[in-house]
Amino acid sequence: MRRKGLVGLLVFVVAVLFSVSAFASGFIKIGVQAPITGKFASEGQSINKAVRLIAKQVNKKGGILGKKIKVITCDDEGKAVKAAICARKLVDAGVIAVIGSYTSTCAEAAEPIYYRAGVLQTSDGTSDTLVKHGYWTFFRNSSPNSAEAKFTAEFFLKKQHYKRIAVISDYSTFSTNLAKAVINDLKKMGGNIVYYGKITSGAQNFTPILTKIKSYNPDVIYFSGYYTDGGLIRAQMVQLGIKADFVGGDSNDNPEFIKLAGKAAVGSYLINVPLPQMLPYPTAKKFLKAFRETYHENPASIWTLFNADGFRVILYAIQQTKSLNTKKIAHYLHYELKGFPGITGPIRFAPNGERIGSAYMAYRIGPDLKYHIVYKEK
Amino acid sequence: MEIFFQQLVNGLTIGSIYALVALGYTMVYGVLKLINFAHGDLVALSAYIGLVIIMQLMGALSPTILIIATFIITIIITAIGGVVLERAAYKPLRKAPRLSAVVSALGASMIIENGIMLIWGPMPRIFPASVVPNTNYNIHGVYISLMQVLVLIISFILMVALYLFVNRTKLGTAMRACAIDQDAARLMGINVDKVIVTTFVIGSALGAVGGLFIGMYYRGIYFNMGWIYGLNAFVAAIIGGIGNIPGAMLGGMLLGIFNAFIAGYVSSSWSLALTYVLLIVIMIFRPTGILGERVAEKV
Repeated sequence: MRRKGLVGLLVFVVAVLFSVSAFASGFIKIGVQAPITGKFASEGQSINKAVRLIAKQVNKKGGILGKKIKVITCDDEGKAVKAAICARKLVDAGVIAVIGSYTSTCAEAAEPIYYRAGVLQTSDGTSDTLVKHGYWTFFRNSSPNSAEAKFTAEFFLKKQHYKRIAVISDYSTFSTNLAKAVINDLKKMGGNIVYYGKITSGAQNFTPILTKIKSYNPDVIYFSGYYTDGGLIRAQMVQLGIKADFVGGDSNDNPEFIKLAGKAAVGSYLINVPLPQMLPYPTAKKFLKAFRETYHENPASIWTLFNADGFRVILYAIQQTKSLNTKKIAHYLHYELKGFPGITGPIRFAPNGERIGSAYMAYRIGPDLKYHIVYKEK
Repeated sequence: MEIFFQQLVNGLTIGSIYALVALGYTMVYGVLKLINFAHGDLVALSAYIGLVIIMQLMGALSPTILIIATFIITIIITAIGGVVLERAAYKPLRKAPRLSAVVSALGASMIIENGIMLIWGPMPRIFPASVVPNTNYNIHGVYISLMQVLVLIISFILMVALYLFVNRTKLGTAMRACAIDQDAARLMGINVDKVIVTTFVIGSALGAVGGLFIGMYYRGIYFNMGWIYGLNAFVAAIIGGIGNIPGAMLGGMLLGIFNAFIAGYVSSSWSLALTYVLLIVIMIFRPTGILGERVAEKV
């Protein structure tokens, strides 16, 4: 017991030291941990751009608590090993908060390191396990898999009335957990799952597993992984003459899904929170305009905006608490923050760091290769 | 039964690509006893070169001519790349211990991979959808696309041509002679240097065809994809017996078909693992590969 107390004290001292060093430098250092290169580079770079844009906007107005914000970026390449290295690097650099990472796997690999150092972390990772470790430093800025899974099950059974459902995931934490959650919710509602299998992300040749699935005669194939594989799965499904619908989980929502699938993309469904341009909030319209003016492109996806929101809410908490003490900021976010107007809707956190509320939608990709809303959460 | 034939088609398509790439490993190994680790990255490079050519020429040429032009130009550039690789990374080390050449090969592999990333960026690049018409044939429930037909036919023709070249021509005979004993070949008046360059030209050209197939069939290409395709092709070369040309063809096909059947009949989650278990089993019973010759230990 005494030992534990000692460790706790040490953590606290380290945390205080870091906040002090952040004070002393005259800068507020914020880390970005994101996949700047590798398969998810377009998402990672977009997150980095969004964070830097916000920092620039704040600095232009004279910074926060009289200090300028300095953004330090570390590329985790979407790999767990690199994520841990990044976490140490950013902690050593003296950041008080880290935005990232894009993938749940990387966010989870870095979590304990930020926790031990008392550095705040906010990620769009949707894996349910992210908030189950009891780390006070972690805040999810998106909706969890469990909410998406429930919505997916309702869409399948109440709207589409699928009778034979096949599920595919890859081996990542995020994808397997989402697939399992969807299967659980479907079973609870009496859905019939005829097949569940895994693919190796990046293998490109998915015809063997799809041919096998074809023999089960499903009326839908659900894929819980990322767009780089999802686009190819959809293309190869059509090529193999599989008539089943394709429904992709949130990470298939990327413009490259349509590019990879080509004409085959028509008629496939994606499930995600609203597209950036569909967000009704004034904050969202303002931010998107600034993003386009600065970078001459749209954010890669909604995930960029979730992370931007994570950053904005931390800055807001710093301002409200007038403090750089991460414990104080975390306490404010957990218990005092009420309905902060985020880009992706009002933001509130549960005591475990979970963001409260969600708004999922199902889209169908039409012959015009655009998204059309077919089902919404009430 | 449809499922069986469909899996066979699936396996043969990817297997042909593996076989084309495996030939590059096996030919270089046969002549130089060197594993050219940069070969997979050369394949990736050829896919990017092909994409650039298609983007430049699309619209200016009719589809058929565009495809032929893309293949010819990419093959030439990649073959030159292969020769440059040999000159820069391997020739200066020909008399050095074999380990130096392996390290040099790994270095060359990283240079090409990161070079691709610096030039074309880390994001996946995507081939346009309409290069090869999206025609799909349904033969009694077995689906095969025009691109797959092209992959199978072109691979088959290339492999037959290579077999005839190695076994029926003077240069091919010289190549086989160098594979057996370079010094003896030199004494017989064979220009060993020329043979080595020819080997790299042919190996890289076949790899370029494989790279273009990957780009045109799967459409998404990544700067680090040379690693995964290279690894599979290397394994294919070993299954068939490294250094043995028909062996590499057989190994590639077998690897593709194993993978498809294991995914189809056992478990897709385990297909990769079980494929390698099979590799180990083959290695236990045939340590030099299926068609590899038993080499007497020199004491």
